[in-house]
Amino acid sequence: MTPLLDGRRQYSRPNNRFLIFALAAILAIGGLTTRLFYLQIVNGGQFTVLSEGNRTSAEAIPSARGLIYDRRGVALVKNVPTFAVKIRPVDLPEDRRDDVVSRLASLLNMDPADINGAIDSNPGSRFDLVRIATDVPDATARLLSEAGDALPGVEVVIEARRQYPLGTLVSQLLGYTGPVSPDQLPALRTEGYLPDDLLGKTGIEAYYETQLRGTYGSKTVEKDASGRKIQDLQTVTQAQSGDSLTLTIDAKEQALAQKALLWGMRAAGLKRGVVIVENPQTGEILAMVSLPTYDDNAFARGISGKAYAKLLADKNKPLLNHAIQAHYPPGSTYKLVTGSGALSDHKISTSTRVTTRPYLLLGQTKFWEWNHRGWGAIPIMLGFAHSSDTFFFQLAGMLGIDRLAHWAKNFGFGAPTGIDLPGDQAGIGQGYDVVTPIQLINAYAALANGGKLYKPQVVRQIIGPDGSVVRPFAPKLIRRLAVPRSVLTTMREAARNVVLVRHTYNLVDLPIVVAGKSGTAEFGIRDSKGRLPFHSWFIGIVPKNPKKVASDPTGMKAMAREDAQLVVLAFAYDSRTKGNTATEIVKYYLQLHFNIKHDYRNFDLLHRGNFYQSN
Amino acid sequence: MGVIRAEPARITDWAARSIGAAWRAFDLQLAAYAGLLAILGLVMAYTNSVEQGQAVLSGGTTFVRGLMWTGIALIAFVVTTAFDYKWLKTFAWPLYALQLGLLLATLAIGHGVGGASRWISVGPFDFQFSELAKILMIVVLSNYLGARQGRLGSLTSILGACVLVAPPWILVMLQPDLGTSLVMIGILAGMLFMSGASLRWLGSMAGLVLASLPIVWNYILRDYQKQRLLSFLDPSSDTQGAGYQLFQSQIAVGSGGLTGTGLTNGSQNQLNCLPVQESDFVAAIYLEELGFVGALVLLVLFAALLFRLMVAGWRSKDPFGMMFASGLASMILFQLVVNLGMVIGLMPITGIPLPFISHGGASLISLAVGLGIVQSINIRQTRAEW
Repeated sequence: MTPLLDGRRQYSRPNNRFLIFALAAILAIGGLTTRLFYLQIVNGGQFTVLSEGNRTSAEAIPSARGLIYDRRGVALVKNVPTFAVKIRPVDLPEDRRDDVVSRLASLLNMDPADINGAIDSNPGSRFDLVRIATDVPDATARLLSEAGDALPGVEVVIEARRQYPLGTLVSQLLGYTGPVSPDQLPALRTEGYLPDDLLGKTGIEAYYETQLRGTYGSKTVEKDASGRKIQDLQTVTQAQSGDSLTLTIDAKEQALAQKALLWGMRAAGLKRGVVIVENPQTGEILAMVSLPTYDDNAFARGISGKAYAKLLADKNKPLLNHAIQAHYPPGSTYKLVTGSGALSDHKISTSTRVTTRPYLLLGQTKFWEWNHRGWGAIPIMLGFAHSSDTFFFQLAGMLGIDRLAHWAKNFGFGAPTGIDLPGDQAGIGQGYDVVTPIQLINAYAALANGGKLYKPQVVRQIIGPDGSVVRPFAPKLIRRLAVPRSVLTTMREAARNVVLVRHTYNLVDLPIVVAGKSGTAEFGIRDSKGRLPFHSWFIGIVPKNPKKVASDPTGMKAMAREDAQLVVLAFAYDSRTKGNTATEIVKYYLQLHFNIKHDYRNFDLLHRGNFYQSN
Repeated sequence: MGVIRAEPARITDWAARSIGAAWRAFDLQLAAYAGLLAILGLVMAYTNSVEQGQAVLSGGTTFVRGLMWTGIALIAFVVTTAFDYKWLKTFAWPLYALQLGLLLATLAIGHGVGGASRWISVGPFDFQFSELAKILMIVVLSNYLGARQGRLGSLTSILGACVLVAPPWILVMLQPDLGTSLVMIGILAGMLFMSGASLRWLGSMAGLVLASLPIVWNYILRDYQKQRLLSFLDPSSDTQGAGYQLFQSQIAVGSGGLTGTGLTNGSQNQLNCLPVQESDFVAAIYLEELGFVGALVLLVLFAALLFRLMVAGWRSKDPFGMMFASGLASMILFQLVVNLGMVIGLMPITGIPLPFISHGGASLISLAVGLGIVQSINIRQTRAEW
């Protein structure tokens, strides 16, 4: 036993220290109590709200995207449910990222670089889903959703994607939907877009994005702190389906136009071509084909970086709608402007004869007539019909550069046509250096209808989700041309004369009345023989009653009227052929359209080789 | 003092009298407060188990493990109460060796998260020996400081205590376990203060430590260590980890309000918002589910427990007893303040458990042993007087 402690040996108890220790304990516990009082009683309500916000959050309910039909009601796009694979970066541990990405890439048959690129260019926050792959096969999706812990951060989502049944036929018109890009997101976020949303990227899908998208609904969902959804709680607002569109495009005419263009390009060995069919009475575009093209389904499925880079690198620019987004020199088709201008400004009359020559000398430079001979003194009916260069040089001289520019602007050159598609170009120069195919056909449509320059349109009606017409079709007049109607009648007759004098070979033999103007536009650099490569153009006008009748053997009476039903344009890029390829393409289209059994095509004119002879 | 109830000697019922006296000297209040706190800990184990969707009474749940550890702790408490604490003085140095051995073993064969070694597997259970080491630390310091009564005005005594603490402290830092090492410093400071050591020296030493911090920061710490310290001191720099936890924890506490959301109803807990909700952040769940009223109950129980510990120290005529009670009180107070402070956003996040409430066998058993020793001191003071 230890010795007993008695009073003498008792150590001196540090009474002050006990007191101070007790005070410190009271202070500390008091401090904790005060802070708890502040947190739980004073600020309690605020934290309850925060806590509620922590477990419930608003989540968007995607709306059904509107559909697109052609003018006859053929569906051009469908919404199909598919599996999409997404990654929530916050759930993907950085040290496992390489492993997860490479496994995901092999499962999805993707390039790991594409996956890493998607994660790194993620426009949202680390808590937002990043789209990795769209349209994943069922088996893969099932495998991925079961992988769970092996693939942290990877989520499989069911969503609707666009399917374009007609594929390449209308791809440049429709465009496609794709993921929101990082630079778009800040602006789109305020409109309710999500970082992993899909939206129209080009074409009609982009131009009519607002109408097609509809309005996303909102629901509250319960989540745990790691962001995983536990359950849907309630729908706050219902999603409102997007509007559907009826196009002015006729899928059947589109197919015919594409068939004609494909034939012409193949026969003449062309790399690019455009065909546009327009109703001159309304500005409705019935067909618009630009080749080469691409399949918009590839984009809707989520195109790989490699495939996209290949499309971008293609020097014939398949992603570009050459009908509206590219400009080319118009060549002789431009004589419409010069001729109408000279007549309107009374520089000449219909009976004025202008002497055509083998060439004109301006300073030291010889400007050759295309046939190197000329046709003597001829009126505009013949000058236009033969597409005489020396004739129109002189007219241009009479007009002067300012008036020429004025008339070009009046016909709509040098300004976007305002067509309801993205990327509508203005053309460069004072409106007469280069033109877009849509500007050119629109000018000829105004010629055909007696002077009404309409805004070309590809969407006819906007239909609400309930089937009601939200926006009916109405032609949109840009302006009435300042060209007198009598002048336009003369020019239409001159255009008929182009066909009659067989400038366009056997086009006149067609059982229907067609007027038109061809064009050959040199570009690029001369070859060893001093010849230039050239594009060829043709714009054809078909009257309301095209049938040839005995009372109108030349078709002039039909062309004097302003009731043309069709204007058809063909553009053949770099067509170094013997004859005008564009004319043959338009001819073939008209044969198909009017169901003409006899084949009038001149295969021999499409032989390749630089035969610069016709204009 | 009036606390010692001496009775006239009656030889005939020596045994009965001895046990009766011991029972009377046993601090029932101290045991009751500790028991109530342990029951609150079990309640939290229960609510955690329910919210994690476990069948509460099936094997391996937090609750069942809690019950088991409480049982073991009760036995440890009874055994240490019966054991004469004076042997601790005799065996202070072997106990010191045992402490170092346990910590060395933890370093050698322990395991933990992210390369740390904190736990040793004992059968199916993980046991954190550094908890036990804290109690042994108090025993060793009590012996040292108790024996040097009257010589504590000198610097050597203070430095001696520091030298005693240094080896285990370094071993804990090597694990690395910043939380436990901080608790050890807290215990040392509290015990030095209560030992009556010269305030002048203590003050100058504290000043010296504070003054040397910039030198340590600039010349001794490496960049990655600084970074760790920075994120330790500033949780908001690590929003995904510690900062996130802190924020969620405050939301949990705040949403408790006056009366709490009710047991098993804490949204933060149910939704798994708090990562270490059964151990270091258990208080957040407690405060959410039981509210401010529950908080008051908890704090009053702790205050009462600390008061009874101080009374035991005051009563003790043996400096060892006074020192031990002070050391245990320092430890509990320090852990309470740091843990609750962390949960309610007053302190940075450290891995310090809340005594009795945080789940962990080692912590509970160590507390039971510590309280048992204090009861042993209580009982044997009475006998000594008589």
